[in-house]
Amino acid sequence: MAGSALKRLMAEYKQLTLNPPEGIVAGPSNEENFFEWEALIVGPEGTCFEGGVFPAKITFPPDYPLSPPKMKFTSDMFHPNIYPDGQVCISILHAPGDDPMGYESSAERWSPVQSVEKILLSVVSMLAEPNDESGANVDASKMWRDDRQQFNKMARRLVRKSLGL
Amino acid sequence: HLIERSWYAVTETCLAFTVFREDFSPRFVAMFTFLLFLKCFHWLGEDRVDFMERSPIITWVFHLRVAALLMFLGIIDAFFINHAYYSTITKGATVQLVFGFEYAILLIVVVNVFLKYVLHTIDLQSENPWDNKAVYLLYTELFLGFFKVILYMAFMAVMIKVHTFPLFAIRPMYLTMRAFKKALNDVIMSRRAIRNMNTLYPNATPEELSSGDNVCIICREEMVSACKKLPCGHIFHTNCLRSWFQRQQSCPTCRMDILRAPIPTGQQQGQQTPQQQQQQQQQANMMPGQGPMMPQFPGGFPMFIPPMVPGQFPMQQQQQPSTTQPASSTTATPTTSTSTQPTAVPGGAATTYTMPGSTMAGFPGISPYMMPPMFSPPFTPPPMPPANFAGMNDEELRAMEGIERSHVEARVQCLRSIHTLLDAAMIQIQQYYSLMSTMGPQANMYPAPASASASAPAPGVGTTPAEPTKQSDSVKGETQAATSEKPSSLQSDEDLSDLEGAVGFTPVEEVIIPEYHDEPVDEIDHQEIRRRRIERLESETNLAALDKESETK
Repeated sequence: MAGSALKRLMAEYKQLTLNPPEGIVAGPSNEENFFEWEALIVGPEGTCFEGGVFPAKITFPPDYPLSPPKMKFTSDMFHPNIYPDGQVCISILHAPGDDPMGYESSAERWSPVQSVEKILLSVVSMLAEPNDESGANVDASKMWRDDRQQFNKMARRLVRKSLGL
Repeated sequence: HLIERSWYAVTETCLAFTVFREDFSPRFVAMFTFLLFLKCFHWLGEDRVDFMERSPIITWVFHLRVAALLMFLGIIDAFFINHAYYSTITKGATVQLVFGFEYAILLIVVVNVFLKYVLHTIDLQSENPWDNKAVYLLYTELFLGFFKVILYMAFMAVMIKVHTFPLFAIRPMYLTMRAFKKALNDVIMSRRAIRNMNTLYPNATPEELSSGDNVCIICREEMVSACKKLPCGHIFHTNCLRSWFQRQQSCPTCRMDILRAPIPTGQQQGQQTPQQQQQQQQQANMMPGQGPMMPQFPGGFPMFIPPMVPGQFPMQQQQQPSTTQPASSTTATPTTSTSTQPTAVPGGAATTYTMPGSTMAGFPGISPYMMPPMFSPPFTPPPMPPANFAGMNDEELRAMEGIERSHVEARVQCLRSIHTLLDAAMIQIQQYYSLMSTMGPQANMYPAPASASASAPAPGVGTTPAEPTKQSDSVKGETQAATSEKPSSLQSDEDLSDLEGAVGFTPVEEVIIPEYHDEPVDEIDHQEIRRRRIERLESETNLAALDKESETK
């Protein structure tokens, strides 16, 4: 058999299809390779990202769940915690030890307790409440802090774009 | 990432060019391009093998391709190393040295990838996940990292000798060293954690498994057997836990550091005799209500009067600070545990001296009267638990309980140290008395070394509180001690039998006890001295007189 990583990913996929959390769809992009997933995230209500549907790609390491997966938005995103190339920067996706921003306590890092579902839920809450302390996208953090109106306008434009309008 | 890697390779080789400028030729460029080409194949092979781990289905075509590729790369690398070696031998150090070195590194990479491939293949053949694979991978990494480091070192040395400092080799060398250090660290830490897991943590019982959620959080599968329970109470599959410990040495759920955490059935206690553990527990129980509990132990009230040797006690005073220091850590160890010293000796007053770390019975009855008010502990008190438990979850509380236990133990230790300090003060008081008293020379017959050695193992804390207060305290205690003289002397026979384990003290007592067993006389002497002192100092009460006396001194 090919590893516990595959087993666990299959288990998580099953779990996600049986009880999908609200506003989140996720699954392997093809059945051959369980280590590449695609996810769709609906912008949380009551925020500037409301109504948008944002596609993302999740890449799992061979030793998942011992190492964290990587998540990358494939659509354009403008958000303090998303790198300009779409890579998501949240602490639970960082293995203890590597700390790109130098501020995260190890208590909020990756551990096998986390799961795809938890990651996606964290991303949804990240969309709702950006953390401007750790600027993955410095422009976005600055705008979020200083010119909220402009930020909201940018976000709404992204929402429209994500819906193909 | 192929592009990124080749970019680094190009830069490094360009740096290498600067060293071997004179060799620059089309042939050299061709060789360099070929090297880059081969490097790309090595990287591809590596990625292929990594892919094996994640893909559910591996066809035999895949095996064939990977095996053929690795074989081919290995042969080419070996050939070029050979070529470079001979050209260096015949023509001296040329750019071939760099190439030879590069190919040697590549050969190690091939070996590494091949070993990985073999491991993955074995894993694929077996039905069940192969638990030890990760361990082998870790060791493979370690050994090949070691070879690489050696190779880079050798290359560096040769280059410095032949030409100049090889700038281009610094980056890969640094990376290799770092990887090696990490691998070494991983191996050490994971070995420690896994050893802990195998030896210290209990297997989860079926009850624990059946109660509540029995899904292993790491692999999301049900736990039926082969599970371990961490000190924080979380249960995982042994195999899952092992592979996690190879990366992190903490509990996956609550992140408690398992290498640093106090282990409930820990080693410190394991060293102690069961008897001592019992004592410790008794003392721990006693802690809150010490005063009321004490009267239970007046019987075992051992007596010891240090000799009255005039020249001796300055020395003893000097000794105390130095000897008390190390002992504080050893109070709990078995060596000092048995050394209770029961001896009844006539003296100015019936005083007591209890050996440090003595058994419960050795706890002098005077201490409850002396200890609490006078001594605010001179040492930093053990850390207090946070006042608010509301914000903590069950795991944290459970972890706290473990810490709390060590705190209680630390307090017991503190109290013992105080006790010892008081005893030491008592000895000094006793010596003052002895000096003062007009008693006969028989006290001098007591051998000097005995008292020195008696005070030597005295446990205590480095910080000695002010002497005068101690002395006045102990004088008060002394009167108490006089009252309990009888029971203790009655018990002295039993106590002696207990003493067989005591180090080096028994013979001394055997000599002394018969000599000074005449207690009524002692009592009279004692009364007489006291009366004389009272007269001389014209004090109102006995106690006050004694207090003053010690203060004036």
